[in-house]
Amino acid sequence: MLRVGIVGCGKIADSHVEQARATGRAEVVAVCDREPLMAEQLAVRCGVPSRYSDLQEMLRVERLDALHIATPPDSHVAIACQALEGGCHIFVEKPFALTGDAAATILDAAERTGRLVAVNYLYNFAVPGLQLKEALEAHALGDLVHIHTTFGYDLAGDYGLAVLSDPNHWVHKLPGKLFHNVLDHVIAKVAPFLGDSTTAQVLAFRRRKASGVPELDAMADELRFLLRSGDLTVSGVLTAHGRPVTHTLQVAGTRGTLELDYANRTLVPVAAQTQPSAIGRLFPPWVQARRFAGNGLRNLGRFRRHEFHYFQGMRHLLDQWYVAIESGGTSPVPSPEILRTCRIIDAIVAGMGGEG
Amino acid sequence: MSVLLTGAGGFLGQVLAERLLANGVTDLRLNFRQPSGHAVVARLAAAYPSASVRSAQANLLDRKVLPSILEGVDLVVHAAAQTKGGAADMTANSVVATRNLLQAAGTAGTRRVALVSSFSVYQTEALPRRAQVDETTPVETVGVEKGAYAYSKIHQERLFLELCAEHGMETVIVRPGVIYGPGGGAMSARVGVSAMGSFFALGHGCALPLTHVVNCADAVAVSALRAPAGTVYNAVDDDLPSCRQYLRQYRREVRHMRVIPVPYWALMLGARFLVRYHRRSKGQLPAVFTPYVVRSMYRPFTYTNAALRSLGWNPIVSTHDGLHQTFAYLRAQDSAA
Repeated sequence: MLRVGIVGCGKIADSHVEQARATGRAEVVAVCDREPLMAEQLAVRCGVPSRYSDLQEMLRVERLDALHIATPPDSHVAIACQALEGGCHIFVEKPFALTGDAAATILDAAERTGRLVAVNYLYNFAVPGLQLKEALEAHALGDLVHIHTTFGYDLAGDYGLAVLSDPNHWVHKLPGKLFHNVLDHVIAKVAPFLGDSTTAQVLAFRRRKASGVPELDAMADELRFLLRSGDLTVSGVLTAHGRPVTHTLQVAGTRGTLELDYANRTLVPVAAQTQPSAIGRLFPPWVQARRFAGNGLRNLGRFRRHEFHYFQGMRHLLDQWYVAIESGGTSPVPSPEILRTCRIIDAIVAGMGGEG
Repeated sequence: MSVLLTGAGGFLGQVLAERLLANGVTDLRLNFRQPSGHAVVARLAAAYPSASVRSAQANLLDRKVLPSILEGVDLVVHAAAQTKGGAADMTANSVVATRNLLQAAGTAGTRRVALVSSFSVYQTEALPRRAQVDETTPVETVGVEKGAYAYSKIHQERLFLELCAEHGMETVIVRPGVIYGPGGGAMSARVGVSAMGSFFALGHGCALPLTHVVNCADAVAVSALRAPAGTVYNAVDDDLPSCRQYLRQYRREVRHMRVIPVPYWALMLGARFLVRYHRRSKGQLPAVFTPYVVRSMYRPFTYTNAALRSLGWNPIVSTHDGLHQTFAYLRAQDSAA
């Protein structure tokens, strides 16, 4: 069993503890937060044996194999480098870093120390993401033409309320504010298909009414972007107002199109009209219905086998990452993809400037 | 006497500010987390022209700003807490915030602190059916089994007593039951839960320990200003309805719902199954109901406000009027939606 520690005992830390344990490959032996009461609450609620308010002390005493970094992103470079130099492999919560340059600093430190780095790009390891990877490896779609991605955000949810009720929340200090915190989820899904010279056109604005609090009102809640990398384009819609809250990807290739729904965990090919005239238009809805029914049945099977957890993708990713640590393999999240994701986010955030 | 009220922008806090002034406070500072409480301050200043009412905007998580809002304060009425969200957020905004506030108050020389706690701190799981829950009922020692909110309130109360003792500050604790009223929520989890388009009734004939927001605010104000140091008071109203009666009246006066009654034995069976399934499936479904929670919340107990009454407190709003008023508000909200 790997000895794992967690630094940063905020809301997302619960899922790190739960999913690390669920892999059966890691024991969470210690948690750390510079606020001792936060470390205490996580340790007590989750039954973690040791807690610290000093990261250096935790690294020295606990001799960890891996450290999960779940602190706000402006602290990631310092903590990641400290842990890597201390001999730990690191698993970083998104956003990986505030900028591409900061990401490069972490990745360089990992290469220098020979430790593995992964970031919680969980949707690439959720069932639809894994199925997409298989389809693309089998060249089922031909050459990629366009990808459209949507990501809904509920500002009335727990996290949205926390952000909107606190002008000092760390999210307001991110260059791209709220969207900076979720763009990793959106861009990490498409980064494997993009080159390193990607251009971006961006529109960001606030749709909700002004609150009168400058820090809150500076936060955009609608974002559109268009990326181009060679012949491939990617369009994105991030919305806090569109309902229902969706999380989808449509991947169009020269031979076919796939529609992925990460919230409902489905992947279906878009049905083509194969028969002529009005008769031909009768068939596709039935074809789609059969495909969705197949997805539903397979999801039922996953539920029955206990493979349908809310954070199943994260569990799968952690499992692969822990295996890589144990076997001396490579990280399931390649460093070039992390860096590319961060660079594209830099471009989108730069494009948001002045429109929030 | 200068009084600082935290959580002044909340459901209880807004009414509590008014009740403190009505009970004779002449120097009141209202703490809001956001700089958006000016309307509340202006309204109260106009209603109580002889009193000084000021805004004391500060995030209690920001220790640097707390000395300035506590300077010269004799009494802190601490009503700020987080009632929704994740466990970490509740700890931050209820427990860490309390630690910061009390350390700053101790340093500033504050004489007395009144804490708005919760019924959730009581260890009712061990009580026999129909036992009376009063101020002598034991309090949970850790409380993880009762869920994130209860854990944060238990932790908050324990820290409150430790820090007040350390700094030599007088303490008063008020533990409200279910606070209701216009502006509040419709349905306590004690009554039941909504799921899959139906309402699962869980509380049945158990008494619902309601306290109207005006009565609760008055109870906190009276206790904070008049109670002997080191005392605890439960805030509940008279003529408490059962959960069944509350639900029936809600359906009659607010909106119809499809109600599925879940008997206690079925709830307990379901909770046992859920806990086992949660473990076996490695958390695929959250164990929101555990046998401990069911025994703590869904068995019949009785409640009393005798201790509060000994301070001269009396409910301002009757339960009959309070329910009608609240359901009229909820009906209007429902229609607007």
